[in-house]
Amino acid sequence: MSETPVLKIEKLNLEIGPKPILRDINVTVRPGTVHAIVGESGSGKSMTALTAMRLLPHGAKPSGAIHFQQRNLLTLSEPEMCALRGDDIGMVFQEPMTALNPVKTIGEQVAEGIRWHEGATRSDAEDRARHLLDRVGLPEKQFPLDRYPHELSGGQRQRVVIAIACALKPKLLIADEPTTALDVVLQKQILDLLRLLVDEDGMGMILISHDLGVVADMADDLTVLRDGTIQEAGSAVDVLHHQRHAYTRQLAEASTHVPGWENRKAPRSDVPLLLLENVGKDYPGRRTGLFSTAEPFRAVDQVSFAIPEGRSVGLVGRSGCGKSTLARMILALDKPTSGSINLHGIDTAKASGTEMESLRRDMQVVFQDPYGSFNPRRTVEWLVSEPLHTLPDAPSRSERRERVLEALKEVGMTKDALGRYPHEFSGGQRQRLAIARAIITRPKLIVADEPVSALDVSIRSQILDLFAVLNDHLKIAFLFITHDLTVARAITHEVMVMDAGKIVEHGPAGEVLHHPETPAARALVDAAPDLQQTIKVRMSAAG
Amino acid sequence: MFAYVVRRLATVLTTMLAASLIVFAVLQIVPGDPARLMLGINATQDAVDNLREQLNLDDPLHVRYLTWLVDMVRGDFGNSYTYSVPVRELVAERIIVSVPLALLALTLSTIVAIPVGIFTASRHGTATDTATMAATQFGIAIPNFWFALLLVYVFAITLRWVPAGGFPGWHEGLWPALQSLLLPAIALALPQAAILSRITRSALLETLHEDYIRTARAKGLPARRVLWHHALRNAMIPVLTIMGLQFAFLLAGTIIIENVFYLPGLGRLVFQAIQQLDLIVVQSVVTLLVAAVIAVNFLVDLAYAWADPRLRSRTR
Amino acid sequence: MSDANLLATEHDDFRHIVRRALQNRSFVVGLVITLTVITIALVSFVWTPYDVTKLVIADRLKPPSMTHWIGTDHFGRDIASMIMEGARNSIAVALVAVAIGILVGVPIGCWAAAKRGAIDEVLMRGSDIVFAFPALLSAVMITAIFGPGAVNAIIAIGIFNIPVFARVARGAALSIWPREFILSARASGKSDARITLEHILPNIANLLLVQGTIQFSLGILAEAGLSYVGLGAQPPNPSWGRMLSEAQTMMAIAPQMAIAPGVAIIITVLGLNLLGDGLRDVLDPKLRRDR
Repeated sequence: MSETPVLKIEKLNLEIGPKPILRDINVTVRPGTVHAIVGESGSGKSMTALTAMRLLPHGAKPSGAIHFQQRNLLTLSEPEMCALRGDDIGMVFQEPMTALNPVKTIGEQVAEGIRWHEGATRSDAEDRARHLLDRVGLPEKQFPLDRYPHELSGGQRQRVVIAIACALKPKLLIADEPTTALDVVLQKQILDLLRLLVDEDGMGMILISHDLGVVADMADDLTVLRDGTIQEAGSAVDVLHHQRHAYTRQLAEASTHVPGWENRKAPRSDVPLLLLENVGKDYPGRRTGLFSTAEPFRAVDQVSFAIPEGRSVGLVGRSGCGKSTLARMILALDKPTSGSINLHGIDTAKASGTEMESLRRDMQVVFQDPYGSFNPRRTVEWLVSEPLHTLPDAPSRSERRERVLEALKEVGMTKDALGRYPHEFSGGQRQRLAIARAIITRPKLIVADEPVSALDVSIRSQILDLFAVLNDHLKIAFLFITHDLTVARAITHEVMVMDAGKIVEHGPAGEVLHHPETPAARALVDAAPDLQQTIKVRMSAAG
Repeated sequence: MFAYVVRRLATVLTTMLAASLIVFAVLQIVPGDPARLMLGINATQDAVDNLREQLNLDDPLHVRYLTWLVDMVRGDFGNSYTYSVPVRELVAERIIVSVPLALLALTLSTIVAIPVGIFTASRHGTATDTATMAATQFGIAIPNFWFALLLVYVFAITLRWVPAGGFPGWHEGLWPALQSLLLPAIALALPQAAILSRITRSALLETLHEDYIRTARAKGLPARRVLWHHALRNAMIPVLTIMGLQFAFLLAGTIIIENVFYLPGLGRLVFQAIQQLDLIVVQSVVTLLVAAVIAVNFLVDLAYAWADPRLRSRTR
Repeated sequence: MSDANLLATEHDDFRHIVRRALQNRSFVVGLVITLTVITIALVSFVWTPYDVTKLVIADRLKPPSMTHWIGTDHFGRDIASMIMEGARNSIAVALVAVAIGILVGVPIGCWAAAKRGAIDEVLMRGSDIVFAFPALLSAVMITAIFGPGAVNAIIAIGIFNIPVFARVARGAALSIWPREFILSARASGKSDARITLEHILPNIANLLLVQGTIQFSLGILAEAGLSYVGLGAQPPNPSWGRMLSEAQTMMAIAPQMAIAPGVAIIITVLGLNLLGDGLRDVLDPKLRRDR
């Protein structure tokens, strides 16, 4: 094919202040195709997109050339760029929740670009906005133009952002991690929509992503970035199939990593450690009028299950299905409206003070965000030893330190971490520290809420390995809460699928993830990006 | 929206009731015998008893409170002890000085501050921005009554452009009346304008960092249009809060400023009544002023709901 | 406002903070001014050029000279000496009023944030009511009942500071409570009070410090206003506000009497405001990165 490329980035270098961000970047985007740029955090993939849009922060100095419609974008004046943005180049961002102006209706926001670029009348622009919203899957009946962003969910808001970006049939669409903030089912829907727009309008698209599974499914061409330089580039199927470059191989392996895990076969013990019986949680309904209230919202509905000692159980489901509410109740941070939660046969809602302390000792937690899970003003020693508070006799200072050191050793950290503060550590190291804090009381159960989803793939595989080791050596039972099926596949014996507050499917991990029976479970499994499977399908399609 | 207004209105009424209870408690219960306080220690027991009867002080507290409250609502503010006229008349002739003064000051401060805030925010980091912000630092630090003295010295004593004080009354015509309100209004407005322009600037700069500003830029809108059409309305939300608070400051500020300029306004009335321990006047006028502040804050709440659709649909 | 950035910021080495502070112009200028004013106030306890309680009618209304730096007032008192002693009064009133605000307001705010629900609602409605009384108006009322004087001025200003600090502390604490490190502290069984002490307070301290300097400077202005109308410190203790009210009638003959205390107030308030702005910049890591 010899069609002229939509966009050609040549020898792009970028510095912000004295710091080099990008070096010698070359990217060509062909019309009607998707060119994916993948990399881990700090690779410069988003900066490449912002450079093409000329929306860089102050003090950024790009050099080289970005050819678009026979012009070099880097030499255009600001008014010339304004004429291109939103008209010939559209952009979709990562965070749909904050990407729309909260005080303007979605109709106004979609119509604005049309009116601005084409001088269309208000009613004309609104007609076209209506049509666009229909096209991105927001039909008039449920989504009239006068809706405000806060009345829409994250996935719906991302559709509005896409409608804005594609309002004037751009030649180039730049999508910067457009689905990272969404759950897998929504991710699939948004990606399908983007693909449809590319095919129908023949535009070129740059897809920025950290997820090789997504890229394998979407991309025609692929560029792999690391530390601001290109590692490998070429046709997506080719690059991902052959994995010639060491870094590409490393990324691919990390994203399908399965830890070596001695206890992979579920331990025989059937002594129930955690037992939930008909647990429910209602939230009072919103007030809808002066004296009327909506029906209470049932976040968790009649949930019953047991976790035996040493067993690793995954709890998967879409965002908003109630899995985090359930986790909070298990951790006794929130009281169930009905039913009972027992640990060691003690009802957590009725436990006495000392019973509660022993329950807390046996049950610890690891959260998603490695940055938010530590008080920034305390040292590692203080933070990791915090759960020791639940011991019946306060340990002495040296005893305390001894136990912290032991926990640090178990998670692969050294003693010089003791006096340092959380911000001195990387995301992966912080997650290790969070795990050290969780195991310091030798708990029987760790509830891990999306413990690896904020981490880069290479770090993610190391943390999964660590969880496997802890299960092998310390016989800790896990409840992994995740929307990411690869995590569930890698590190659980059993999987439960949650949907609209109910557990709809529960069984051995392999069975549930390969032969889902309920529609909710099937939707999750079908939507989950699967690198190896996708490459296989695309290779055979290409012949 | 209707439900929101009704619920806010209910809160406003409760707040007003609570405030009136506080005023009543401070002036009627704390001093022990209000009649003795008003007449002074040298008064004869007869005089005290007389006044006690006049004020119905022998009634139980709750009866006194309720009577006072019902009378207030009906528009009967009682009789001034020192002036021997209905408080209502006193208030009526003073309110036409104080309210125009506060409004004039608020208008002056707003029409200066908001453009200055927008201007400096759009030129963030330039020398103009830095110089203007340094000037506002001084504006905030200047006590308004000192600035008032300075204005009197320059414009009234030295240049003789405007009168140094007093108020001719509205019957003398609009211009002479406005002339005598001009200096006090400027004195009141200066520090408020300095604060408001800084708030406007920082709220705008903060808003300009939001994600939706980037979305608007990606639509191809030039920076100026993004500022006016997307950032400004969001930035107005904190600005409105400050304007609501400023009204309270301005009302309180009139107590001092009206003293500097010998203006016969509410502030001066309440101040003199306090000095003469005319508790009936104090009680009614303070309650009125507090009610005015609460009412203005209610209007600010409504303006919020107008500016922010999220509030309109939220019911709490 | 950028205040949110002062919350739960990264821990900083004390030396780094000092170095950053010394590079911040507002902070340095503000600190120098504030320390100078405080020093002058302290010196006035042991030495002033003249005794301000002595009236020397022969020396009345002297213009500034070598013997009387800023001249004398209508009773022949040395204005410079009176400014020095007035500083003492202003600082003491404003400082104690801030202390009242912090000691009462911060626990209330933290309590409201920890308990939420009905307690929060009641406490915040209470602060709404206090806010409905313009500060000066309530001060005037308090002094009317209890009599004028520095102590009552402190109480009047302090009462107004309470809801200010309560709201700032509550707002800041509310944004810390949902953080994951609080959840994990709760998961390890710590009580609300202990979490507030160990986790919430250290993370909102920056914000309270900045608010403290703002309320300090507002306190100086409020005290000046109160003593201007005769409700602050009583004679013979000099205060800047009363000096201004005495100067009012002498405006045409002795403008120095009005200018000196006004300038003293402006400089003090300006110094504190610059210090507050500087502190905000120094303690806020996000702003720092933007520069």
